[in-house]
Amino acid sequence: MIDYRVRFRTNLVIAACGLAAFAVVPFVANSGLLFLAGLVAINIVFGLSWNFLFSGVGLLSFGHAMFFAGGAYGMALITRHVPEMPFLLALVLGAACGGLIALVFGVVALRRASGVYFAVLTLAFSELIHILITKTTFLGRNDGLTGIPRPVIELGFGTLNLTSATAYYYFIIIAMTLVAVMMWCFQNAPAGRLLQAIRQDQMRTAFLGTPIQGWQLTAFVISGTVAAFCGAVMVPFTQIASPEIAYWTVSTQPILFTLLGGAGHFWGPAVGAILFGAIDYGTRTMHGLSEITVGVLLLAVVLIIPGGLLGLLKRRRAAASKSTRAETAGERTSETEAGK
Amino acid sequence: MMYDIGLTVFNGLAWAMATFLVAAGLTLIFGILHILNFAHGGFFMIGAYVSYTVMLAFGAGLPLWVFMIGAMAAAVVVGLLGWAVDMFVFRRLRDVEDAYSLIATYALLLVCGGAVQLIWGLNYLSVMPPPSLNSVVFIGDVFMPTYTIFVILSGVVAYIGLELLINRTQIGQLIRVVAVDPWMARLLGLNVTRIYLVTVIFSFAMAGVAGALLMPNQSLSPELGGIFLLQAFGVVIVGGMGSIRGAFLAALLLGMIESFGTYLFPQYPGIFFLLALAVILLVKPSGIMGKEQTA
Repeated sequence: MIDYRVRFRTNLVIAACGLAAFAVVPFVANSGLLFLAGLVAINIVFGLSWNFLFSGVGLLSFGHAMFFAGGAYGMALITRHVPEMPFLLALVLGAACGGLIALVFGVVALRRASGVYFAVLTLAFSELIHILITKTTFLGRNDGLTGIPRPVIELGFGTLNLTSATAYYYFIIIAMTLVAVMMWCFQNAPAGRLLQAIRQDQMRTAFLGTPIQGWQLTAFVISGTVAAFCGAVMVPFTQIASPEIAYWTVSTQPILFTLLGGAGHFWGPAVGAILFGAIDYGTRTMHGLSEITVGVLLLAVVLIIPGGLLGLLKRRRAAASKSTRAETAGERTSETEAGK
Repeated sequence: MMYDIGLTVFNGLAWAMATFLVAAGLTLIFGILHILNFAHGGFFMIGAYVSYTVMLAFGAGLPLWVFMIGAMAAAVVVGLLGWAVDMFVFRRLRDVEDAYSLIATYALLLVCGGAVQLIWGLNYLSVMPPPSLNSVVFIGDVFMPTYTIFVILSGVVAYIGLELLINRTQIGQLIRVVAVDPWMARLLGLNVTRIYLVTVIFSFAMAGVAGALLMPNQSLSPELGGIFLLQAFGVVIVGGMGSIRGAFLAALLLGMIESFGTYLFPQYPGIFFLLALAVILLVKPSGIMGKEQTA
């Protein structure tokens, strides 16, 4: 058993290293790559929010796009109709939109469905929201809501101008790091351990007196809120909320990130999101190649290396230490035998 | 009023049978291997493209038999792909958690979409129905394209054929045995792996045929896989765990709901199917023909 504080420090260092790596990007890359890096940073936390549900409590969601889009559209509507609203409050309200969707859906769906049925229900509900967006004039139909301005934040002692893409990029990576660290803390707090217990053995945890559905709902709402926060942060960056972000292929993105990186590890989705961004960028001139690459990788992960990339590294390391241990153990037995 | 009702019922039937054609293979795999195959939409799409290529080779003004050759070619190609998929993917998914096998079939769907983009490109392609199916008939006042009637009849024929195959033939009996208890079937000396393989090939071939038959209604694009997939998923799940009859009834039910919903609220096509799906799943998660789950 490793001490919580040691693990917290290790993971804080990982987060800080990630932040530092992303902070270097504007100095070494052009604006196109900067844009991509910003989206990858958002995708990392989007993936974390999905894996929080999948590995955290054992719910498979195929509809995370509805939360992402909920946050994005909430944010876009607020900035268009209530421009005097402080930016950070608008972000929080945008995230709350996703939380609300998760609450309504979760109350109804978690009571009845589980496993594959739950997955299809999330898929159907998310598609419902996608269609509603494309048919509602208030939400811009197929064109989406465009021209979302980037903010200038009033601090007591001065203003923080985030209107340039680079400045807003820094805001993104700092916000995403904070959310990631908060999620790590929650997942390793007693509540997070309880969710883990529900995933591992639902019936036994229920026997111990845990209200399973209540905790599942809590996890669902938290995951939805974080996903919506990602959507809300993205909107001023891309300056548009378009219905494509509610399409079901967006729901499958965090699944790809998580499985490629490794579902069993907290930072798995982060590794996966970066890898996915790199594959997408590397194959951008060949239509179809990125899908094939990602699809084959994903198949390989499920069939051959169930732990994903990080799982593979972990296993390598475990195997290495095991073989050294076995060697020393072997020496010891031969010594004792020699002693006899 | 009568005219509207007749037309709405006709549209509902068309929706139902088109969806059933896609869902039939899906429900077969779901019932026997207990895998909800995301990739079905992808192989449906490959079937459509293969048949397109065959028809292109024969040139314009195609008679019905060329259309049928296209469908056969699609069945053979996609069936062979099914053989490969069973060998290399499904066989390894037996001991994998449900969530992971769902994700694995999604990965296959991605590969299908990518392959279609690489082979046939991103552009929209389209095919007219064969001339003999490209007219209309009037029953009363109701305007009915012969192609749509053809699709409805194909759906009914597919349903009757499947029912006969499953309930009246020896291979159907074996399939039912394996679906109920693969462990016991193996104990009795049946080659369960072979039966799984046959089922998968058959299911994939049906996906190919469905793609070929429904192609003239669609513009072919790499997104085609996703369009029918959700509808077919809905039909399979509402029908209940792998029940062919359930899927057929569910297709009719959802088709009518969708058609009448769209007739009453034309500004929201596609919504009523999803609403009905959500409501039915919430009221009876095991589907209309499914047995109550114990777990």
